[in-house]
Amino acid sequence: MDAISTTPFIETIHEIFNSMLGMNVKVGAPRPELSGIHPPDLIGVIGLSGSAQGMVALRFPDKSALAIIGHMVGAQFAEVDSSIIDGVGELVNIVAGSAKGRFRGHNMSVSLPTVVRGDICRLSNMADAVWVEVPFESALGNFWLIVSLKQSVNTQQEVAREGAHR
Amino acid sequence: MKALIVDDSQIMRRIIVSVLKKAGVEDIVEVSNGQEAVDLLAGANDIGLVLLDWNMPVMSGIEALRHIRTTNKKLPIVMVTTESEKEKVVEAIKAGANDYLLKPFNPQDVLDKLQKHLEAVKK
Repeated sequence: MDAISTTPFIETIHEIFNSMLGMNVKVGAPRPELSGIHPPDLIGVIGLSGSAQGMVALRFPDKSALAIIGHMVGAQFAEVDSSIIDGVGELVNIVAGSAKGRFRGHNMSVSLPTVVRGDICRLSNMADAVWVEVPFESALGNFWLIVSLKQSVNTQQEVAREGAHR
Repeated sequence: MKALIVDDSQIMRRIIVSVLKKAGVEDIVEVSNGQEAVDLLAGANDIGLVLLDWNMPVMSGIEALRHIRTTNKKLPIVMVTTESEKEKVVEAIKAGANDYLLKPFNPQDVLDKLQKHLEAVKK
């Protein structure tokens, strides 16, 4: 894996929108850093461990979360309740769980998802990990993918050993 | 025929309930982890189909599958999961899963796949 690859996560988000929501989603330019302070949002976070470690998050303004989860289950939600929080957790679970299978040569596990309300800037981040934020636009509202990953020391050593043997 | 949905996500359970109802299954039981499924199946013999998530708290789907298969070899069990790696699919099939559905899914594709198992149960 390169320093960081968001492609498997982006592919999975496209697939979720195509298959489960019946619509396309437009991906914007990735930013290497967080784009400033945001109003409180719903953020689904999931940890990745194994040969690459870090976290994947989906950040939704309330309005987007209500529309996207509502469309998924064919219902209308007026306010953020346990169903919306559960739905955000399930979305990030699908994104992380499905994407990890698309990283070739890696063996990763996902944690159970956590959903928080607040500002992603306040979430702790590993000091030596790369952090990328990718904006998405959909007919149901905007949202952001946030990925912070680093290769484990063991993996880097394994890759170096493989290179030496060639 | 009664179906059991095992998933810690209430939204996912809601989506699967909707698919099952479209397939004509009205009698549906929902639980949110593998342990609840094992406990329920220990005292119920009227479940005809199980839809089982993998990544759940308390007891994972693969652990639940192994527990269920120690006492019930024939109950149709379909894994519904994001775990797409070949090794995971093989692990589930070896543990006794009858089928494997990947999330994210198109509800119509799920319906088509479940029809096969529902027809087999009816025979």
